Amino acid sequence: MGADETYACLLAGRSGIGKMKYLKSKHTDLPVGEVPFSDEELRENLFIKEDASITRTSLLGACALREALVSASLFPRDKSWKMALVSGTTVGGMEKSELFYYDFLHTREKDEYIALHDCGACTDMIGQANPYGFEMMTTISTACSSAANAIILGANMLKLNRTDIVVVGGTECLSKFHLDGFNSLMILDHEPCRPFDKNRNGLNLGEGAAYLVMEREETACQRGISPLCKLSGYGNRCDAFHQTASSPDGEGAYLSMMDALAMAGLQPSDIDYINAHGTGTPNNDESEGHAMMRVFGDAVPPVSSTKSYTGHTTSASGGVEAAISILALIRGFIPANLNFSEKIDSLDFTPVTEVKQGVELHHVLTNSFGFGGNDSSCIFSKIS
Amino acid sequence: MSIYIQSASHISIQKPLSEAWMELPIVPDSAFMKSEEPDYKPFISPMEARRMGTLVKRALATSLDTLRKGGCEMPDAIISGTGLGCVEHTEKFLNAVIDNDEECLPPTSFMQSTHNTISSQIALRLKCHGYNSTYSHRGTSFDSALFDAFMQLSLGKIGTALVGAHDEMTPDYFLMLSKLDYWKMDFCHLGQLRKGEGRGSISGSCSLSMLLSSQKQENALCELKDVELIYRPGILQSRHAINEVLLRNNLSLKDIDAVVMGLSGDCDNDDVYHELKHHIFQNVPTLWYKQMFGEGFSSSSFGVYVGAVCLRVGRIPQHLFYFPEEAAMFQKEPRNILVYNHFQDRDHSIILLTK
Repeated sequence: MGADETYACLLAGRSGIGKMKYLKSKHTDLPVGEVPFSDEELRENLFIKEDASITRTSLLGACALREALVSASLFPRDKSWKMALVSGTTVGGMEKSELFYYDFLHTREKDEYIALHDCGACTDMIGQANPYGFEMMTTISTACSSAANAIILGANMLKLNRTDIVVVGGTECLSKFHLDGFNSLMILDHEPCRPFDKNRNGLNLGEGAAYLVMEREETACQRGISPLCKLSGYGNRCDAFHQTASSPDGEGAYLSMMDALAMAGLQPSDIDYINAHGTGTPNNDESEGHAMMRVFGDAVPPVSSTKSYTGHTTSASGGVEAAISILALIRGFIPANLNFSEKIDSLDFTPVTEVKQGVELHHVLTNSFGFGGNDSSCIFSKIS
Repeated sequence: MSIYIQSASHISIQKPLSEAWMELPIVPDSAFMKSEEPDYKPFISPMEARRMGTLVKRALATSLDTLRKGGCEMPDAIISGTGLGCVEHTEKFLNAVIDNDEECLPPTSFMQSTHNTISSQIALRLKCHGYNSTYSHRGTSFDSALFDAFMQLSLGKIGTALVGAHDEMTPDYFLMLSKLDYWKMDFCHLGQLRKGEGRGSISGSCSLSMLLSSQKQENALCELKDVELIYRPGILQSRHAINEVLLRNNLSLKDIDAVVMGLSGDCDNDDVYHELKHHIFQNVPTLWYKQMFGEGFSSSSFGVYVGAVCLRVGRIPQHLFYFPEEAAMFQKEPRNILVYNHFQDRDHSIILLTK
């Protein structure tokens, strides 16, 4: 938990994927990227009372939100600035609903959790857990690209002066609903996932939350804050191919990366590192790989999927991977893609397999793709 | 940059894909109102329709109908709001997980359960590779989708956007929400809603699609002047936000011909609107719409829809007035209508429409 610990793990090649401890699923053989804290520990961390009703998605979100606010010198709050929260989630409060569903329909025991089930309720609770007074909030639910789309909405709000500061990202906890859902699609690997490997056999489901604090240059200047980096471009496109599969040529992914480059005014050769969506499913990695070859030709920049460390944190992944991309940018390293051994036949490139330190990165691209062909890309650039 | 609501189509407890509610509204007679289904054949083949969930079917029908009416084959963006997503499929998969103890689960209902199924199925149907997103933020899901579209149109990133609000009320979800006092279970006549005594309203499944465009075409409903979202404002901040919206558009309160509010018959919900009326809108006639379309996570979209249709027609039907005395006095052709909605006094939205 936290940027420093994440950085240390990425340098040491230490993955968080392992046996499930808190998720009560019978499929204990499936490795997961579980946050190593119980609900009780997360509550304690946030000073939330034992008897207060709150979902794990919200607890994870509230922890990440607090860290983001502290690191942006916004905790406690400075009331002179207007602030908004845009959060992505898909399962929302499902992890409690699946436990209490019988009660929802037949008893009065767990009624308080009915109102906490939906996606918007999670965002609402995250805002309340950090007693903060956001002036606006909303929730995006585009499956695994939710957090990336939160970044895009937030950026548009800043451009139009609809807020001074916007906190964007996403949160998602493990649930049986999600694990069983991905399992029913037969896209979960029983081993630690192997993104971009010829013999990859699916993803490992993860959980997590991450938020970025974004503001215009002049606001940062007035607050006396030196920003970590600049969001220089973004794109959101739809693959419009299949509800849960990506097209063979990665059309949506190709278009979203091209849009992001065009907006940033960059050439493909300017990109120094790609944090890929790279789930480890046969379909995604091949499709994304082809899209990258279409954009970058035979000069695909260093690529890695950090899902080999975190698992696929679904709605949070766009936030988690944006945070990792920014860490890479400002601390000058390229994280490795774990568990790779053999190149995919139809692709011309292989991912980075050893962490590279002491590299100067200027522009980092990160991809987030979701069910329904919701494909988004963001480019973060060093401030010169 | 001007932004227009070009066309709109709905499926609700009123006559579907129609503006018949203007003259002859269907009067609800129970707390659980079923939507009127249209003839889907012009939009979806019977074979496809059998495989599709209710919500996706409705979303496709309203989307295709509004695109046809707006003369647009391919929108630049598809943006939906849905508070609960495809509940029918979510419940089906959840029940299977519980009943089968996580074994032998068919993937179909899981695939169809994610909230973004709606926007993506529309994109699939149109083969639309443009911007695609979904908002799921309780009672202001639609307002968030509209906010996104409005900003992108203002920035010139897109020229057209298909914006929708889609929610269905399943019997199980209705039951769960009844435990949270969402419904007047003894509802039998409209007077109960206008009185606003006690908790609860009537439920309605709502699907609404509208086409926004930065180029005006014939038969456009109205201009969408502004969309503002605020969180837990309190009356002072509400007033401040309303003034800001008006100021940005060179208007003052006296230019507003009517305010559409999400009055629903629930005392807690309605108190917020009564306070707004008392402090801000004393001299602005109040319109309501939930008595006709019901309450649900997508219902706020009907506030915008009702306001937009009135502006195009140039007339406000008597049955939309919340206070009968205001209806009797109202003579003019409306020019500016403000739509004010809130969800549980947390998320508030202010939308300005102009002829």
